[in-house]
Amino acid sequence: MRPLSVATIFCAMLALAVTVSAAKVGDPAPDFTGTDSNGQTHHLSDYRGKYVVLEWTNYNCPFTRKHYDSGNMQALQKEWTAKGVVWLTVLSSAKGADGYKTADQENAWIRQIHAAPTAAILDPSGAIGHEYEAKTTPDMYIIDPQGKLIYSGAIDDHRTTDPADVKQSKNYVSAALDEAMAGQPIAVAVTRSYGCSVKYEGAD
Amino acid sequence: MTVSAAILMVALFALTQSPVGSAQSKMSGIMPASQSTQVTAPHLTAQLVDEESAIYAPDVINAGLYFTLEPGWHVYWTNAGDSGEPPTIQWTLPKGITADAMQFPAPKRLPLGPLMDFGYEDDVLFPIALHADGSLNPGTVAHLTAKVNWLVCREVCLPGKAILQMNLPVVAAKPAGNGSVITLYQKFESQIPAPLPASDTATFQQSPQGFALDISTGAKQSGAQFFPLDETVIANAAPQPSTPTATGVELTLKKDENLQAKPQALNGVIELADGSAYVIHATPGAVAASHPTGSAGGQNGLGKAALFAFLGGIILNLMPCVFPVLFIKGLALVQSSQQERRQLRAHGWVYTLGILVSFWAVVAVLLALRAAGHQLGWGFQFQSPIFLAVMAMLLFFLGLALAGQFEIGLSLTSAGGSLAQKHGYAGSFFTGVLAMVVATPCTAPLMGAAIGYALAHSALVSFAVFTALGFGLAAPYLLLSYNPAWTRLLPKPGAWMEILKQAVAVPIFGTVIWLVWVFAQIAGTNAMMGLLAAFLLLAIAGWVLGRWPGKTSAASVAILVLIIAIVVPVWAVRAFGSVGQPQANVAAATGDAVWQPYSPDLIAKERAAGHAVFVDFTASWCLSCQVNERIILDSVDVKQHFRDTGLTLVRADWTNQDADITKALAALGRSGVPTYAIYPADPNADPQVLPEVLTKGIVIDALNSLPKPQRQSAALPRPISQ
Repeated sequence: MRPLSVATIFCAMLALAVTVSAAKVGDPAPDFTGTDSNGQTHHLSDYRGKYVVLEWTNYNCPFTRKHYDSGNMQALQKEWTAKGVVWLTVLSSAKGADGYKTADQENAWIRQIHAAPTAAILDPSGAIGHEYEAKTTPDMYIIDPQGKLIYSGAIDDHRTTDPADVKQSKNYVSAALDEAMAGQPIAVAVTRSYGCSVKYEGAD
Repeated sequence: MTVSAAILMVALFALTQSPVGSAQSKMSGIMPASQSTQVTAPHLTAQLVDEESAIYAPDVINAGLYFTLEPGWHVYWTNAGDSGEPPTIQWTLPKGITADAMQFPAPKRLPLGPLMDFGYEDDVLFPIALHADGSLNPGTVAHLTAKVNWLVCREVCLPGKAILQMNLPVVAAKPAGNGSVITLYQKFESQIPAPLPASDTATFQQSPQGFALDISTGAKQSGAQFFPLDETVIANAAPQPSTPTATGVELTLKKDENLQAKPQALNGVIELADGSAYVIHATPGAVAASHPTGSAGGQNGLGKAALFAFLGGIILNLMPCVFPVLFIKGLALVQSSQQERRQLRAHGWVYTLGILVSFWAVVAVLLALRAAGHQLGWGFQFQSPIFLAVMAMLLFFLGLALAGQFEIGLSLTSAGGSLAQKHGYAGSFFTGVLAMVVATPCTAPLMGAAIGYALAHSALVSFAVFTALGFGLAAPYLLLSYNPAWTRLLPKPGAWMEILKQAVAVPIFGTVIWLVWVFAQIAGTNAMMGLLAAFLLLAIAGWVLGRWPGKTSAASVAILVLIIAIVVPVWAVRAFGSVGQPQANVAAATGDAVWQPYSPDLIAKERAAGHAVFVDFTASWCLSCQVNERIILDSVDVKQHFRDTGLTLVRADWTNQDADITKALAALGRSGVPTYAIYPADPNADPQVLPEVLTKGIVIDALNSLPKPQRQSAALPRPISQ
């Protein structure tokens, strides 16, 4: 094609590509670049060949606390990282907003609550949150070793803040990982997440 | 003194003052505390209320759960939206009394950044009907207990629970009603969405982006909002452009990202502009294709584009790349005998087929690129100075070729000539392919526009436009194959073709100038020096190609120089380029109109203050944006109207990557610039999006259709405890 045509193609393509579609189950998961609380950089593409769980969190949110105070989230993290899953906790709260933590604060917090993620990604600009359109804390995403998004939504089926509910809840994340690792289709691949809204930059 | 403290004070006062029993409370609306407890919790109070202070069985008791909330805090609707949970109530009731489910008044949209929740602010009463049967004996007191759970949020969320009690004596005669509770009850009970009347209809039609929902009430409605009852069906935060129809209103709803199945019904609440709210279960049906202002496309658009493409194709025949071939073939037609005419007509069609197939191949490649581009997450190319530099250099090089410094197109013509010389249908087919290939250097403006248009639309539209273009290109030859005599009408190939080709170089150089200007905006004048130096190198490469045409060694030298030419501006951008805010000229005040730069809070703040906001999404690399601004938005009439309506003017400059502006555009359902949106003063009203091609009439009409800004204070409900 000749240059101006190419130029117009690019022009049109950018107009299209501007509406970057967010993460949709069944599609390739959007690649992201994030820095964790130890200063390391992580790309989703680094983890090709492994299952990746993204857990959006805000430790002040009562729904998140339900899972941490009861030890549920920590247990999930330990169980699945032991099986080779990369578990990334993502903090997308804007600076100064509820749930924001600096790298030191996050490291201290992880030690305090005995959390066991592979890494805690600090995303105060909300870029990764926006890529995945993470809405609540907690909001869970599972990516398979081929880079496809296979689960998006709630952590379990009891949309409450009561830690006592954890025992009788069906955990969608564990169910999906079990099924995927056994090569079975995922029964529940999309649910509506529950929790407090992610405190993005510019949101009030 | 906070609201909750004041309520507590009044409640304490009531406790000490009013006797047990059914005395009407002198306080405006607070139930005597002996009858129902009011609980004060962080940021809210919760209370069970009842229209009558006693039970006269058998009776339906209009009771309810009443929350008053601190400013900014909210509780949620039955479908809370993107986050949040609705309040729940669990009754412990004495024998003889049963409770219906809690009813939810029509909610408000509660935006939080990119998310949307549905709920209530300030105060809300959830009506609950209690049924008392005749087994209750007068003289006894019925103790009703409710365990209530809620989530109250502002920036943070606090779950809460309380045990609320209400003691109702059973009396022998109809008790007096509690006036203030009755008023409160009626206010919220009237906000409960009613079932859609049988005479009205709600239908929806699925579209690739979502749904078109048509509500027919018999009267034209100026607007509506849809609150879904099902989760993950529609994208909660997306705006819902509404178009009034003769009998009602039509809404465009964006579907949820993850919606896989086709829903059998759209269940939800529709709130009409007149304040009425209905529960609808919309059924699938055909919805008249009406388009909200600002959306591109439609039958007209496609027809015009195809026509343009067809005319463009015809004009392509005059280009020096195509015309000689056409002329020669025409002559061959004239010299053919009558018997061969039919064959030649067939040849004409094969030639057309050759062109069309080539075009379709191009479209297929472009669509594949588009899909790949999506996967790669391409975006904002025009905001990348390197991309701009590459584009400018390519166009400059092409311009040099067209101006005559060296030749590209004609050599291709000769290269393909042997193929086209073949006899038979193959020859005609390849002539068609050749025509398409060699046409491209000469076709830049028209073809580019067709490609741009087609790529921005669906695959079907792309193919339609390119087919029209192909037919346009083939039409003259096809025509000649039916009427060979008309070849005489063709001008002889000659110098005029060369002049035409050189003339085409003029708009190309014009585009280069524009790209250099945008590049300088973004990367700075030092980097621009690098770009201009690259142009010099391109001119040298071009001279080499022109001086020794056809020689491979010369071509190699030229390529070497070209590579250096590309490296120079890239290095210049890296070294000098400033990826900062663009020049102030985009955000500058123009005459009397003062345009404020965009910030996410600004619009919300202005609307809260009762001002409508006109937002001009623009970028310095967007030509139509500049045209619209200079000619329409800066015109005297439009500026006058801006002054008269007292709009706040905001300019969202998207020249450099800006995540906030991208978010705002996406919320409007747009993906690029220019975009013009008017956000009305009423924060609940949806923004109106204007078309990309503005006229004064469009802008002035839109300004005139704005409602007069309301006073803020009148809109807020007054809590009864004040």
